[in-house]
Amino acid sequence: MNKSKSMIKTLLKSSTALAALVLVLMLIVASVFSPYFLDIFNLQSLLRDIAFIGMVAVAQSLLLLIGELDLSVGKIATLSGVLCGLMMTVVKINPFVSMILGLLVGTLFGCFNGLLITRLKLNSMVATIGMQSVYAGITLVITKGRAITGIPEQIYFLGKENLFSIPIPFYFAMLVLIGIVWFATKTKTGRYVYAIGNSREASEIIGIRVDTIRVLLYGIVGFISALAGILYVARLGTAQAAIGNNWPMNSIAACVIGGILLTGGVGTPVGAMIGAAIICLISNVIVLFGVNVYWQEAVSGIVVVLAIALPSLITILRGRKKQKGTSK
Amino acid sequence: MVILEAKKITKRFPGVCALDQVDIAFEPGEVHCIVGENGAGKSTLIKCLTGVYTADEGDIFIEAQSVNKNRKLFEKIAYVPQEIDLFKNMSVAENLFIPFERAGIRGPISQKKLCEKAIPLLEGLGMTVAPETLVKDIPVSQQQLLQIARATAFEDYQVLMLDEPTTSLTDKDTEHLFGIVEKLKKEGKAVIFISHKLEEVFCIGDCISVFCNGKKVSYARLSEVDVPWVVAQMTGRSLDEKEEFSSAAVQDEVLLQVKDISGDDFSHVSFSLRKGEILGFAGLVGAGRSELMQAIFGYLPVYEGSVEFDGGPWKLGSTHSSVEKGMFYLPEERRSQGILSELSVRVNASINALNQLGGALGISSEKEKTLVGDVVRTYEIKTPDLEQKIKFLSGGNQQKAIIGRCMTATPKLLIFDEPTKGIDIGTKVDIYRLMKRIAEETGAGIILVSSEMDEVLKCSNRIIAMYNGQIAGEFERGADKEEIMQSIFGLTLEKEESPQ
Repeated sequence: MNKSKSMIKTLLKSSTALAALVLVLMLIVASVFSPYFLDIFNLQSLLRDIAFIGMVAVAQSLLLLIGELDLSVGKIATLSGVLCGLMMTVVKINPFVSMILGLLVGTLFGCFNGLLITRLKLNSMVATIGMQSVYAGITLVITKGRAITGIPEQIYFLGKENLFSIPIPFYFAMLVLIGIVWFATKTKTGRYVYAIGNSREASEIIGIRVDTIRVLLYGIVGFISALAGILYVARLGTAQAAIGNNWPMNSIAACVIGGILLTGGVGTPVGAMIGAAIICLISNVIVLFGVNVYWQEAVSGIVVVLAIALPSLITILRGRKKQKGTSK
Repeated sequence: MVILEAKKITKRFPGVCALDQVDIAFEPGEVHCIVGENGAGKSTLIKCLTGVYTADEGDIFIEAQSVNKNRKLFEKIAYVPQEIDLFKNMSVAENLFIPFERAGIRGPISQKKLCEKAIPLLEGLGMTVAPETLVKDIPVSQQQLLQIARATAFEDYQVLMLDEPTTSLTDKDTEHLFGIVEKLKKEGKAVIFISHKLEEVFCIGDCISVFCNGKKVSYARLSEVDVPWVVAQMTGRSLDEKEEFSSAAVQDEVLLQVKDISGDDFSHVSFSLRKGEILGFAGLVGAGRSELMQAIFGYLPVYEGSVEFDGGPWKLGSTHSSVEKGMFYLPEERRSQGILSELSVRVNASINALNQLGGALGISSEKEKTLVGDVVRTYEIKTPDLEQKIKFLSGGNQQKAIIGRCMTATPKLLIFDEPTKGIDIGTKVDIYRLMKRIAEETGAGIILVSSEMDEVLKCSNRIIAMYNGQIAGEFERGADKEEIMQSIFGLTLEKEESPQ
């Protein structure tokens, strides 16, 4: 009894573990109360959703770890997807080469964000709000609002197919997760990310090239946003301007749910993936539970806010308990 | 009659007992001084008495009622913090009456009415500023007085707590402040006066409580004691006066040559440092020593002059290249610039050595644990385990961890900026010994910036005094303390300038 209590206590202390616990509980509730949840097609579509939000959230988590964020992830994805689509259809470059070029372009967009923010000493939120309009605007100019069709069918499998019943994009998401977790925990630069998130001044004094690393992180975020955007093109079979509209907000919410502090320095990219799973599960379950179409957005919003508030609620309650303890 | 009383209060932080069974009582119409070295527990006491911290044990009574039952009682204590803590972009009058509810101002706020209300208060303290001026536009001394005005604007206070109120004041302003304190005392308020300056304590105080290592070691009427007695009480155990911490292995080779450099807060500074030498920088707070060191290290800009390091020209302006080439800076602001507070002792100690820890798959946890284990043992860092968050270590152990972190990278020059600030006496000696050992064993040069005169005298092979951003004098080991003091107060500079 005592042992299990202390285990629960340590679990509650780690926000990531807490998020995982919430995810498991939600999975149980969903499978018990909805006969359709465990349907293979439903699970596949859920995993496909998680793959896209998860990938972007895991990248976004790196920026949150240094106390910054990128609101242009969705539009970088769109523009990279559209440019990639144009290269395939209009310029007629080999589709796979086009995809690699698309990834490069996304990385450049990300680095550009980073340079803008570090060189001009801008706030990341304000700068990327501006930049997302720029990327959205360029997309509109290029596409004139029309979807780019005629994407070669040989790349469709990347977005639409399953391997061992698991959607291909989910494998990409796992690769991204493993890569970024390795980067964050096992490389020098990853360590420095946490250092910068804790104290920029201390990091400078330790001798870390803070600004270089910041630009690098924006570049990584651009790269992964482009990856998600291009896979989405493969999923839809067309490249269009509407991809990724809710990615910035969802990716940030996923990070917060997964226990990454907006102020930086605390959390792990794994949390971001769990958070993304929770968010996608919420929208999935709401549909399955037959919530009225008009209510869906409000209900999912409320649940997301609750999920975000959970770690901080626990801290508040713990603080109260402590104060009561001392005053006795 | 006692107005504010603490009974047996104890406050512990991880690794340190900041207040240990402290009893203290304050009476109306009396100026009660509290003195003690850095880390003696003064600020923790203040935070307990003002309700910022809740004591782990013991109780606080205000007008004989326990604050545990009624936390509103803390409103009777007017606290004037040491740092200026005002709303800089708001007017003097607004600053006076925030929070407006408590000041009895309801409905829409009229700047004019606020100003009218402010004038008598400001005049009462002899302040000359117009109430509609923005706080950022008035001089620091007036800001300090405004803090007092604000604390005393609410008439229900009974206790006025002044935390180092004179650090930013000139002598004349200090006199003025003392006039105000006298007046409030006559009105029957209890005044708590916290200061490092003993002459002021004797000038204004009625009684004194001395703190040392979290304990209240003595209480006396000031009329019955003298300065040496207070100093003896403050330092607690007397140190081995004879132990010397200067380096015994100064080499001939020059390590650092600074030539006529100028920056924001210092101008035309030249000096040199040899290998294995400990060079002390004495001076008052604000003399430009930290800024000079940060500029040499590459953290702050240098506008003129040049530096040579280890026999070659030195690239200014990049902390990264400084650290690569073996120059390290150990900052005074340990909490914000030294440690990575939310991270573990392990991560903090290994961050300069990650290159050495490469394994097949990136950083090897095994190698890292061995390295950090060595650091913890060599530098006697007291921590329950390597995964403890460094913010829970005491200041002394944090400092040792920072030293250990630098030593993982074989430094050639270590710049210690106030290395023992907020560190207890026992650990201070540990740090002195470490500096000496590093200089002698590795031949590294050490620069010691300190505002504690005795520290500089005990540890340095040579001492440079700075005043107002300039070098005011250079002294060999064993120089007269008085002479150095004159330099850091700028007296020697004025003498040189006067004939012109």
